[in-house]
Amino acid sequence: MRDVIVIGAGGGGPVVAKELAAQGLDVLLLEAGPRHAKPREEWTTFEDDANNPLTGYLRWGPSDRDKPAWYREWPQNSFVWQLSGVGGTTQHFYGNYPRAYPGVFEGYDGPDRNGYDVDHRFPFTYGELVPYFEWVEATMPVMTAAMGHKEQTFFRGAETLGLPVQTTKTTHRPSYRPQENAILQPGGTAGKTADKDLLVYPKATGCTFCGYCFQGCMRPNGAPRNQFAKRSTDNSYVPMALTAEVWSRGGKPVELIADAFVTQVHTEKRHGVLTATGVTWRSGDTEHREDARVVVMSGGCTENPRLWFSSGLPNPNGWVGRGYTDHFFDWVFGVFGDYTGNPKGVGSSARLDYPPYGGLENVGLPPALAAFAGTLSDSGIRGHYKNGRGRTGPWDGPAGRVMGPELKEVLSHGMDRLLSVLVITDDDVEAQNRVTLSALPADENGPIPKVTFKQRQRTARTLRNREFMARKAAELLRGAGAEKVYRIDWAPLILHVQSSMRMGSSEQNSVVDPRGETRAVKGLFIADNSALSNGLGGPNPTLTAQALATRTAEKIFATYFDGDPWVRSSAPVVSTDPRISVRLAQLGL
Amino acid sequence: MVGARVHSRRAFLARVGVLGAAVGGGGLLTRSLLAPADAATDSLLPPAVDLIRPVLAELARDTLNGLTVFAMPGRDPYSRTQGTPSPTPGAIEAGATDFIINSLDNFVPFPDAIAQPVGSALVTGLADSGIALPGLEVLPVDLRRLDRALATYLESDEALPLSFPIAGLLNLMATQVNPLAVNGPHLSPFARLSYAEKAAAFELIERTDADLVELLDVQFPEPLKASVSGLLKFVGGALIEFATFGAYGESAVYDKVTRTLRKRPVGWNHTGYQPDGPVEGWDDFIGYYQGRQKVSD
Repeated sequence: MRDVIVIGAGGGGPVVAKELAAQGLDVLLLEAGPRHAKPREEWTTFEDDANNPLTGYLRWGPSDRDKPAWYREWPQNSFVWQLSGVGGTTQHFYGNYPRAYPGVFEGYDGPDRNGYDVDHRFPFTYGELVPYFEWVEATMPVMTAAMGHKEQTFFRGAETLGLPVQTTKTTHRPSYRPQENAILQPGGTAGKTADKDLLVYPKATGCTFCGYCFQGCMRPNGAPRNQFAKRSTDNSYVPMALTAEVWSRGGKPVELIADAFVTQVHTEKRHGVLTATGVTWRSGDTEHREDARVVVMSGGCTENPRLWFSSGLPNPNGWVGRGYTDHFFDWVFGVFGDYTGNPKGVGSSARLDYPPYGGLENVGLPPALAAFAGTLSDSGIRGHYKNGRGRTGPWDGPAGRVMGPELKEVLSHGMDRLLSVLVITDDDVEAQNRVTLSALPADENGPIPKVTFKQRQRTARTLRNREFMARKAAELLRGAGAEKVYRIDWAPLILHVQSSMRMGSSEQNSVVDPRGETRAVKGLFIADNSALSNGLGGPNPTLTAQALATRTAEKIFATYFDGDPWVRSSAPVVSTDPRISVRLAQLGL
Repeated sequence: MVGARVHSRRAFLARVGVLGAAVGGGGLLTRSLLAPADAATDSLLPPAVDLIRPVLAELARDTLNGLTVFAMPGRDPYSRTQGTPSPTPGAIEAGATDFIINSLDNFVPFPDAIAQPVGSALVTGLADSGIALPGLEVLPVDLRRLDRALATYLESDEALPLSFPIAGLLNLMATQVNPLAVNGPHLSPFARLSYAEKAAAFELIERTDADLVELLDVQFPEPLKASVSGLLKFVGGALIEFATFGAYGESAVYDKVTRTLRKRPVGWNHTGYQPDGPVEGWDDFIGYYQGRQKVSD
């Protein structure tokens, strides 16, 4: 009998595991995919080897790459970019750590208060979450991002839009700034040389500007795992969870089991109340079962609903899996006459926030991913067909795929003369965007999920926000000096995922109560992006999800283990702490 | 009536490309090769299946060559047929067709329970689309024999390579866009299309052509019907995205054992990516915007 079982070692699960391990609880952390304990032996820097969603080492599938990936049904042109493995999608993220906009929380009374998704706010104030933001920011640590040429190009364009520079953690108004990134900033030789021999830890510390965020961070070469530049959870929270006894008095290291796909959450009625009792997971052909006082679901926005349904758990208000938000991304890129620095440095180190519409960020991509990004569209192929859309605006020609001869011409102009801007929409929670169980055949882990997004029938506010931000992106690129600007009108590329098991004040449209516990099953908590109440207004979700998971860990400790909260009364240990590095070396990690 | 059915059956096999690939001008099977199947009893059918399997594989490869040059044209014959020849290497040299075939046949976790009926639908399904196919009579026909070999193959326990139904889908749409594509250079109707016609074929797939949905959904009971036509929308987009990803990526020159590249990928040459290969880092650190290294509320 464990104290706590956490399902999923992605962006959220390791936060709860680390926090409760620090309090001395017995925590089991289960991860469906590979451990990736030795990235220098398992990873490369190549796009197909890393990112091919079917065969790459960063894919949604089993550790054995000779076996197919895990199939999910998407009944529309879309792409849900899930990852298995310790670190989850933080393995390929860019470490962007902006805070949620204050306008998405209860109690907000700014002049733009009616401009947000007012029906689906967080059930507490922004001020309530600030100590948890600060705790995560100090743990990672989050730092103001250094500038490379692609940031310089982005800022040159942002400077023409008449907006101020944001110099606070909190976003109060439309503004632009360097990203606040969970990336260790360059030190020593890092960022100053391309000489391999000089880019070795500790001569180089922090980000070396390699440009391989999306292929997984294992730099600087020779650094301990918890000193790699990008603070994906496999480099930050997981090392802390595994070494809790050396940095927290009374701490107890977490047991982590990879290749453990949870197929069932068990419950029983206790005093008439449905209560979680444990889980069953599959490792290869073997099934295992363990019991726990508390079970935490952190499998992500697609897998949590799937596991809920396949476990036969109740869904009295019908909201399990509903309200999935994805920031309804779009992609606008410019072709420049001069060097832009793409695709060097962190994936993104510059952003523009525009509450209550959404935001923009620059993104560097290598060639195959750039080609993929240029051909994922809901607007047909430029110059040939528009699929009923193909909007025009401050970009060149109609929106749509840049394909064939045109794509070859654009990319042959030079990767380092492009600048791409990700359009991030403040999108509404909508019941129709959801996860259900597919009628297609089950896989070895049970019935598979079906992820439905009705992108053309989204709310008027969502559609308006996306058009507004796409125009801003084009204006920014023109301001930066782009000779030609393309808008792709992406089909749903579901990379920022939120709110499919949402927390809310109303029993009518939420799965999780304001403490993070599910309304239908006691002792069962949700701690990852799926518990977020909404799409945050557009900011990248990891920081807010981790802050909320930290708060949920406190609620678990207080409710089921009679403990006291710690965030307001103590100081966090930074995840780069040398005691963690020493212990990792002893563990051979 | 029988004559009409044979004609429409012939039209359908021509449209998905099987007839032309097997027995058309330059076709891979001769009547004499197919003949033993005609006389065979069940126990003697496998040789016919052995004959049809490589035909279908070559048909799929040819069709997907037509797809990958659509993503990245080069100096190959397929790009010339498409009307967009390029003086520099394209998807064929980049190995994108192998990439797509390997992905479809070995790694797309598409359940056999779906792939098999879709494949059957595309070969045995409704034939009479009402589209006149000029030149059909020039295809020498040993239809019954070919059909029997195909049916045996589809009814066998062998997992159907997904590249085959995908090729069938592209060829079916190709002949919808241009009925003349049942004859011509290359093995497959899709590879015979111009660039604009290929775009028109994808337009049909993306808007989920009603005839096609009917053809596929009829093979499935509820609640799978909507799933299959929904999948088509996804497949239409995914084929394009994967073809470009494969054309600009390193898969063709990547050595899995040494985890290094055998040579510089075509896509890297075009884009100027990493002129000296993989790096540990770059000297691209300029400083901090406005000199600010820290912010607070």
